[in-house]
Amino acid sequence: MKFIDPHIHVTSRTTDDYEAMAAAGVAAIIEPAFWLGQPRTNIGSFQDYFSSLVGFEKFRAAQFGIRHYCTIGLNSKEANNEALAEQVMELMPLFLAKENVVAVGEIGFDDMTAAEEKYLRIQLEMAKEVNLPILIHTPHRNKKQGTYRSMDIIEEHEIPPHMVVIDHNNEETCEEVLRRGYWTAFTIYPKTKMGNERMVEVVKKYGAERIIIDSSADWGVSDPLAVPKTGNLMLERGIPQEHVELTCYKNALAAYGQSGQFEESDWLSPEPIDQRSLFEGNSVLRGGQTPRVDKPEDDRIIQ
Amino acid sequence: MSYTPIQLLENWILRQASDDGQAWLDTQREAVTTGEPKSLYMAFGFTPRKIGKADLQLTERDINDAAEARPGWQPQTWTIDQAARVLLLMSLPSEDDAAWFATIEKLFQTAEVREQICLYQALQLLPHQELFDDRLAEGIRTNIQTVFCAIAHCNPLPMELMQEPAWNQMVLKALFIGAALDPIEGLDQRVNPDLARMLIDFAHERRAAKRPIPVELWRVAAPFADEIALEDMKALYATGETLEKSAIALALVSTALDEADAILQTDPEIAKRAESGSITWREIAQQAYPS
Ligand SMILES: [Zn+2]
Repeated sequence: MKFIDPHIHVTSRTTDDYEAMAAAGVAAIIEPAFWLGQPRTNIGSFQDYFSSLVGFEKFRAAQFGIRHYCTIGLNSKEANNEALAEQVMELMPLFLAKENVVAVGEIGFDDMTAAEEKYLRIQLEMAKEVNLPILIHTPHRNKKQGTYRSMDIIEEHEIPPHMVVIDHNNEETCEEVLRRGYWTAFTIYPKTKMGNERMVEVVKKYGAERIIIDSSADWGVSDPLAVPKTGNLMLERGIPQEHVELTCYKNALAAYGQSGQFEESDWLSPEPIDQRSLFEGNSVLRGGQTPRVDKPEDDRIIQ
Repeated sequence: MSYTPIQLLENWILRQASDDGQAWLDTQREAVTTGEPKSLYMAFGFTPRKIGKADLQLTERDINDAAEARPGWQPQTWTIDQAARVLLLMSLPSEDDAAWFATIEKLFQTAEVREQICLYQALQLLPHQELFDDRLAEGIRTNIQTVFCAIAHCNPLPMELMQEPAWNQMVLKALFIGAALDPIEGLDQRVNPDLARMLIDFAHERRAAKRPIPVELWRVAAPFADEIALEDMKALYATGETLEKSAIALALVSTALDEADAILQTDPEIAKRAESGSITWREIAQQAYPS
């Protein structure tokens, strides 16, 4: 079975993770632009980060047979540095049209400050202008209020809910998010967000329509295999295969496919041209390395 | 009758693009002529979506026209969006070279892989090429082979612009990352003792580690072959595969050294083929790096 992890920060993961993900059936991933763990202090840091999302990381993932896409946006925490935020708004048009950009995101609230709201609104308008889907990050603190407020604002901007993924939901928020017609995403993240046994119960209760599962794996203690692990657990616990396919693959494809930049054929039968620029003859870091080695015959020997 | 690069690009796109794509491109080129960077940035980004990404369909005649319009230009590997993007770049006003350079540099700094390939290939047709020698030297530091090849292969600019250290790094790196040397324009004209020494050292190191030596290496190293190189070539000429032997023979034939003759005599069959021209570097590269 194939999986999509539509929310993972692979920039902070290793090649071992990529190998494990590919082996577990992850065919495509989306890396939303987010916070690096410490605030960026100048626009050059944003520029280089965005460039790596559309360039080197896409290339690196391809070396392991994984198609990499991303979303571009100013995250909520850093929206509070207004001088810098203004410059990021000027930078975004350079990136929104890149080939692997499938949404504006992840944007939304952290502290729910006025500055966060201002840049959320500006970016919603930008997404409308270029007709891209939107990925909304909902806050860890005051989650319910933050989630509802985000949806109210989206509705004020007359953006249809089918163009929006609301992420990091839990049992408390998902009913309202589903009711209002949004793509309703859940992050399986150890200890903090959702556990996958709870996720099984959510799917049993609400079904699979418009529900999306992701790992949000990043530089924290997180699990890049969260999507395949949850998919397999769902199957084990009696959830029909069809529902597993929807929540772990097809819904993400439908939601982000609205960008026109996210198609199954990209990874099932890549165009020759992409193959040429992404796979053929390339290696990750050093010449002469074979990109994928499944099992070395004797791992004590270093060739 | 000869054409300018702009005319050629326009003709090729006209032949291949949809009416909608063509109309979109015309509008965008018009907007870019105002010199406002944002219109170039957006148009540059959206080009593949509007024009498609198909390979450029070129005839033998088109390729000849290209070489006539811009010596060294080899658009055989170009795609249609690449051609359209180059037209957009060529529409940007360039009288103020500092402003023009800043706009192009910003595109380089924020480019994804296919865009980088396009930009590095585009430079050969753009004005103010002399401003880009640092950019080329920086570009070959990439870890992405296709980007490296967009600079090194089928591109006259490195030969025309690069300082010797950067040029030497480019050739050496090509060997390291498994990129062919033959498509490097000006390869034989720009051989130099420093480069040859690095390649001879590299070959010797590889032989000591019992690792294969890229066969094209000898083309660049042989004109400055020293004792070590001759000894390595002699050993490999005795034990190597046919391709390696052919390459060494061809390299040795091009030197006028007595020692070279002595080595060639140990396998006169291959030596004869090298001397008669029935082995070429082009074929050797094609066999070494089958596409
Ligand atoms: Zn995230």
